[in-house]
Amino acid sequence: MSKHAGWWYAGVLVLLVGTLAVAVMAGTTWIGPSRLLATLGHPASRDFVTVVNLRLPRIIASLICGGSLAVAGALFQAVFRNPIADPSILGVSSAADFFKLGGALLLPWLPGRNWVLALLGGLVALAILTSGKALGNPYRLIIVGVALDATFVGLSRLVSSGQAAQVMASTFNGVTWPDALILLILGALGLLVALLLAPWANYLKLADVALQTIGIPVSVIRWSLLLLATYLAVSVTAIVGTIPFMGIVIPNLARRVVGHDYQTLLPFAMLAGAWLMLAADTLGRTVMVPSEISAATLMAVIGGPFVIILLQRGRGFHGITTG
Amino acid sequence: MELQRVSYRYPGQTTGVAALTGLFPAGKVTTIIGPNGAGKSTVLKLLSRQLTPQQGTILLDHRSLGQFAAKQLAQRLAVVSQRHELYDDMTVAAVVKLGRLPYHGLLATVPDDEVATYLAQTQLTDLAAEHLQNLSGGQQQRVWLAMALAQEPQVLLLDEPTTYLDVHYQQALMQQLRRLAAAGLTVVQVLHDINQAFAVSDWLWLLRDGQLVATGTPDQLRQADLLARTFQTPIEIVDVPRLGPYIVQVPGEEATPDNLS
Repeated sequence: MSKHAGWWYAGVLVLLVGTLAVAVMAGTTWIGPSRLLATLGHPASRDFVTVVNLRLPRIIASLICGGSLAVAGALFQAVFRNPIADPSILGVSSAADFFKLGGALLLPWLPGRNWVLALLGGLVALAILTSGKALGNPYRLIIVGVALDATFVGLSRLVSSGQAAQVMASTFNGVTWPDALILLILGALGLLVALLLAPWANYLKLADVALQTIGIPVSVIRWSLLLLATYLAVSVTAIVGTIPFMGIVIPNLARRVVGHDYQTLLPFAMLAGAWLMLAADTLGRTVMVPSEISAATLMAVIGGPFVIILLQRGRGFHGITTG
Repeated sequence: MELQRVSYRYPGQTTGVAALTGLFPAGKVTTIIGPNGAGKSTVLKLLSRQLTPQQGTILLDHRSLGQFAAKQLAQRLAVVSQRHELYDDMTVAAVVKLGRLPYHGLLATVPDDEVATYLAQTQLTDLAAEHLQNLSGGQQQRVWLAMALAQEPQVLLLDEPTTYLDVHYQQALMQQLRRLAAAGLTVVQVLHDINQAFAVSDWLWLLRDGQLVATGTPDQLRQADLLARTFQTPIEIVDVPRLGPYIVQVPGEEATPDNLS
């Protein structure tokens, strides 16, 4: 890792710790450091319940979700060789959401229903994305993804009889300890595997033909990373819902500050994603007390313009062809 | 490397190669020449196992090419394509390290010193930490060559490696290929420039319409009528002072059965 990247790592860690402290203290009632210390010995106190039962699970959930979505986005970009691929724009998240919703209506008895069905939905979206000709052209892939997303959002609205869009419903409000623990286990596992497999994401920078001549099993690598990215994305959807653009914003910023090597980029994206999601959620729940702005809404407001700027300015890396 | 009655026809097309039998001598530079559509690139794709012969056998080390596992083959055979694509930026050293993967596990971290030789061989040592997008086309071409050399192959296949290089780089690359062959590497390349092919090669393959017209040394094949028949155009061999024999297409003459024979 370069010294430059080291500074950025240090910076994001400082931000993360700072935001974490604010997230614990801020809310409908401000619980400052001294009050926080005083409450530790009193598990029955209102402050203790607020911090431990309401704020902590929410903080853990947002950290894991942010990290997972940022890493999932980076992996989708590596596999699809497309800098704006991400689980929300490709329709993977909304497919997971729709299946989750359908499951709640049709299979209410199924154990682990939300996660199992979200995964199934994600895989269905993946199957559609990777079949046919969408993979051959980066823009066609995105358009197919956007169409998929619109379709599944529409289907979700249909079955929920015209209620608000799922995106607006995605929130960390009401996340309980069991939810947070499931996310922690699923997310930590997925993120660990992602960090281990980071070199594979680098290999996919080469064309398939070139990879075959150096003896790399391209399909194994591609599908492993695709399934991993889908797993990370749908784990978030299963518990919280669709959160847009995290997978585009963070990896693209990360490339600019720590470089294009996935072994440096993925851990950074994980930390920065965790920070951004925590910051968005903390801001959303404190800025308009007692009402709330969901993290998904804030991410849409931040992420939308980011994608527009990214594409309008034509910045970033668009591939090299020698010959 | 050796081809034994190798045929391949592209699905739904009439192009391909038919019953090719011939040798690529070890430790020599062999160049495949012929007009467009003669099957030159098809031969390279067959040799690199991107295509599988529909008939016949390709032998490497007296073993059929199909018998090698992907990694085994990558340790023996490297390819420098005409077009190289990189979908996201990498440093020079990182690309060259990929060439070492046939000798490591899929998740291995290749140490820097393992690629120092290949960087030096291609004059890239000073550019090792540079990003590919900051390099010129000629420098990028050297990176791909370095990656191929890092595979420590017995056979190096190059598909029109000079097409996008200026005269200086073309010459430098050809000299390098000669040095590599002298050190024991079997080089097989496709070139469009006939004179370059005759100048740098130890052995030539002349292809036309998917058939092998002739193989031999440049001296054996430097015959105007043979080249005229292969390229379907009138050809003369002139003597250029200080350069020797030079193959030229006769200007203004249409190819007719008369002047081709």
